[in-house]
Amino acid sequence: MAKKRFVVGCFDDEEVLFPAVKKVRTAGYKIKDVYTPFAVHGLDHALGMRETSLHTAGFIYGITGTITALGGISWILTYDWPLNIGGKPHFSLPAWIPIIFELTVLFAAVGMVLTFCYISQLAPFVKRHHFHPRATDDLFVMVIETTEKTNVEDLKAFLSNAGAVETDSHFVEEGWWIGRYDREEMPFENKQIVAA
Amino acid sequence: MSSSITIKEQFEIPGKLKTWAFALMGVGLLALIAGFATKTGTEEERAVFIGTIMYNTIFWTLITNASMFFIAVTTLAMGGWQQSFRRIPEAISTMVPIFGAITLVVLLYIAFTGNHHIYHWLDTKSVETDEVLRGKSGFLNVKFFTIWTILAIGLWSLLGWRMRQLSNEADEERMDTEKGNSFIWRNTVRAALFIVWFALTVGSTVPWLWMMSIDAHWYSTMYSWYTFASSFVSGMSLIALWVIYLKNKGYLEYTNQEHLHDLGKFMFAFSIFWAYLWFSQYMLIWYSNQPEETIYFKNRVQGPYKGLFFLNLIINFISPLLIFMKRSSKRNYTLVTFMAILIIFGHWIDFYQMVMGSISKETVTLGWLDFGILSFFIGLMIFFVSKALASKPLVPKYHPFLKESIIHHT
Amino acid sequence: MHLKYESQLREPLVYGEKTYHNVTEDIVRPIEAKPSKLWYIGFYIAVSLLLFGVYSVYRDVTYGIGQWNLNKTIGWGWDITNFVWWVGIGHAGTLISAILLLFRQGWRTGVNRAAEAMTIFAVMCAGQFPVWHMGRVWMAFFVFPYANTRGPLWLNFNSPLLWDVFAISTYFTVSLLFWYSGLLPDLATVRDRAKTKLRKYFYGVASFGWSGSTKHWQRHESLSLVLAGLSTPLVLSVHTIVSFDFATSVVPGWHTTIFPPYFVAGAVFSGFAMVQSLMLIVRKVFGMQDYITIGHIEAMNKVIVTTGSIVGVAYLTELFMGWYSQNKYEGYTFWYSRANLFSPYGWSYWGMMACNVLSPQIFWFKKLRRNLYVTFFMSVIVNIGMWFERFVIIVTSLYRDYLPSSWSVYYSPTIWEIGFYLGTFGLFFTCFFLFSKYFPVIAIAEIKYVLKTTGENYKEKMVHLEAVDASVFGHSGHGHTIVDNESSN
Repeated sequence: MAKKRFVVGCFDDEEVLFPAVKKVRTAGYKIKDVYTPFAVHGLDHALGMRETSLHTAGFIYGITGTITALGGISWILTYDWPLNIGGKPHFSLPAWIPIIFELTVLFAAVGMVLTFCYISQLAPFVKRHHFHPRATDDLFVMVIETTEKTNVEDLKAFLSNAGAVETDSHFVEEGWWIGRYDREEMPFENKQIVAA
Repeated sequence: MSSSITIKEQFEIPGKLKTWAFALMGVGLLALIAGFATKTGTEEERAVFIGTIMYNTIFWTLITNASMFFIAVTTLAMGGWQQSFRRIPEAISTMVPIFGAITLVVLLYIAFTGNHHIYHWLDTKSVETDEVLRGKSGFLNVKFFTIWTILAIGLWSLLGWRMRQLSNEADEERMDTEKGNSFIWRNTVRAALFIVWFALTVGSTVPWLWMMSIDAHWYSTMYSWYTFASSFVSGMSLIALWVIYLKNKGYLEYTNQEHLHDLGKFMFAFSIFWAYLWFSQYMLIWYSNQPEETIYFKNRVQGPYKGLFFLNLIINFISPLLIFMKRSSKRNYTLVTFMAILIIFGHWIDFYQMVMGSISKETVTLGWLDFGILSFFIGLMIFFVSKALASKPLVPKYHPFLKESIIHHT
Repeated sequence: MHLKYESQLREPLVYGEKTYHNVTEDIVRPIEAKPSKLWYIGFYIAVSLLLFGVYSVYRDVTYGIGQWNLNKTIGWGWDITNFVWWVGIGHAGTLISAILLLFRQGWRTGVNRAAEAMTIFAVMCAGQFPVWHMGRVWMAFFVFPYANTRGPLWLNFNSPLLWDVFAISTYFTVSLLFWYSGLLPDLATVRDRAKTKLRKYFYGVASFGWSGSTKHWQRHESLSLVLAGLSTPLVLSVHTIVSFDFATSVVPGWHTTIFPPYFVAGAVFSGFAMVQSLMLIVRKVFGMQDYITIGHIEAMNKVIVTTGSIVGVAYLTELFMGWYSQNKYEGYTFWYSRANLFSPYGWSYWGMMACNVLSPQIFWFKKLRRNLYVTFFMSVIVNIGMWFERFVIIVTSLYRDYLPSSWSVYYSPTIWEIGFYLGTFGLFFTCFFLFSKYFPVIAIAEIKYVLKTTGENYKEKMVHLEAVDASVFGHSGHGHTIVDNESSN
């Protein structure tokens, strides 16, 4: 948890955004993230992000569900308390397929959603700094990390040149914290800074 | 810029392909002659011999007809992505009249020679004494069998031909909005006609009549939809094989991994769909355990067909499920080729056990004759499909949705 | 970036001069405005129905299910009919979101959010029936797999009724997750525009701190795709398993192998009809004509005629097999109890045939597919027909069984059975009214995603691409050159 200075450039057209991303990256700046109102196809690659392996996690959760169901039912019906049900063998695989399938899907789906929320730090009462309120409306908001050496004004001019319709700089908390959106509260340690 | 680019859109049949086609047909003919000479001694043997030809010809008729079904369905769904390679399923569907004619000859031969080792209901003595068979004779009789078979094959061929004829208009000139709309509209009408007839035949009556009636007492309402799923997934695989072949030869420039990916998705999804129908039919019969129904699975699960029965599931369900689950495998030409061959083979085995499991209940007859006849059909298919491919441009140049297909992105 | 092109032959999916901001405005407006009088009237009617339902259920619990007219052979009557009916309706949402996503049918974006919500509410309604049917509802926890207190006696995992428990609860959970994960970005949109404190608080909590980060979007897309991939077989499995409740038995008319796919087709059929009814209302009440276009309605009508015909083929298949099997009991059920118009329940079979198979055939005509009044009328007819279907299956198979001595008298529901059914309507519409007031009824982010490809004003700018030769598209490496060339010309 630390405060940092970021330079923000807002774009209103993805056609402009892509070349701008390229320019900024070639110029050697580090893009923290681009906040967009919808999933812009190919932007993750343009930013040089690696592919997510969320689906692999989903596969593992699914297999876990399959094994849980198959293992659980066969243990119960063949070992723990075998019952004669309609003269069928104790190990009645065809009759278990439906539940095995359902648990596979359930484990995969629940596991993936929880993993998604965990790795993306999304949960009720999670709050983070939003660089522009229109990032969820119609602006593509590029946020660049600065160092001591960065000349903020130059960078802003550079962004405007690249087609940004609005530029700004923020000195803000970069992570997330527990908070509510109807109150302007900051993380605990920062409050002390304000008090001092 | 546009005028300087010419694309390779006219298929020329490579000599090697022709050689292969003739070689396969030759092998098939040899097998057929050898089979005729050695395997037609008794009436039972004759039934196996003809049954072997029968399931092959039905299989190939249905999977090539699936190509036209694919075109009709994507037309009705206003699909754009398939336009860059639509001439391939079109060419495959030209096989319907050819394979259909063979099917017709074989089926009518069985019906008119009264081979009751295949169709029990042809045995007039049994029909007289057997209450159930007598009850069914309104449907299972030579007259209806003949008429419906001719109608089914004839209309598939005719309606398919009309779809292909219409497709030629896309080679002529650029269509403006009005022309394009009328073109799409006429396509939709013809596709709808095909689909309706398809539902009344492949989706219901034809599999009952041709295949389910071999077990004249047995019935399952799922049977036709199951047969459809089996033939559709192999039909998609056949399309994928030809697409990849042409791509390898440097044709089909507009078709790329994106299209392959979608073909792969179809193969994946319909393999699962097939397994779903398989399970529904099998499990319901297993669960309620009524002898008049379980009889069908008796020799297949517990008898000599046991191995094939499980092989069927492994090839047609487990392997596509595991291999095609990954995105990258659906975009890999080699892997899709392998899977397409595997799936076609798997469903050929499925048809084998559906038909021969009922004709020859006690012994599995799968052997050189089956593979010989299979090779004859493959040779015939290669010969005529390549001819059809060469007969018109591979890309419907002015199809209103072609551009969507070119920039198609999965 | 890929070239944005769509054939001019396709109708725009979004009408009007729209920018991204307009999309936000249009869809969020109803949330920020006071609800209309019409909304209040509808809401109060729904709540009254719900209360009547609660009272009916209260009587059922207090006096037992003797409150209903079930008898010795018709042990499943309106309750299970309604259960299957609601579950069926609950299929369209996931179908639209998942299967149409995989098939990339662009028109799904206009209707998927409301359809998913509808799915969740319909499954909630469906779940009521088996639970309250238990009679001693305080024992409901017995459906969960635990070794009970009378020794380690477990559930019967071989029973389709238990499969149902797993199927419905899994389906509900996964649909909820799918719906809510899709809602997150849109809730964030509402949050970032919020003016009032309450709204800031509520949408702040509900949006999980969504920021629109590219990394999040990337994972979100992966998540949506996998959930869609999982939901597709899941949605098939749910009605399949419901059909197993019947088909695993040896009751004539129930034990037929085609049941699973035919139930699924019927579910999609009725689900789309319900989506159609609701979307026509939403479109009118919230003025969403630009987003839920006639094109959307026509597409859904096409689905309705297709699935209606599939169901028709299945009905005829069953009827045919009733004869072909030469099984006396099957024949009796199909040809006497059902298809004979003059048998006691013949009217319900022919009602079903008329509503489900014959009447949707009018949608072969383009004019009728695009007519709002016809569409609304048909969507109601289809749902009546699909209710009849379940009634026919359940009651006509049960009232004349193998044993003539147990043939039962004519079954008709009591006011409390009807009240329970009306109550689920109340529940459904109460939820739907609340949803439509407090949540974006159309997926904002997804509309924005397709806006520049299928929006009317953007399509107008693409007209010149129609004249460009196809080969240029093939050589442009996803189109940059065309755009550049055209603009430099």
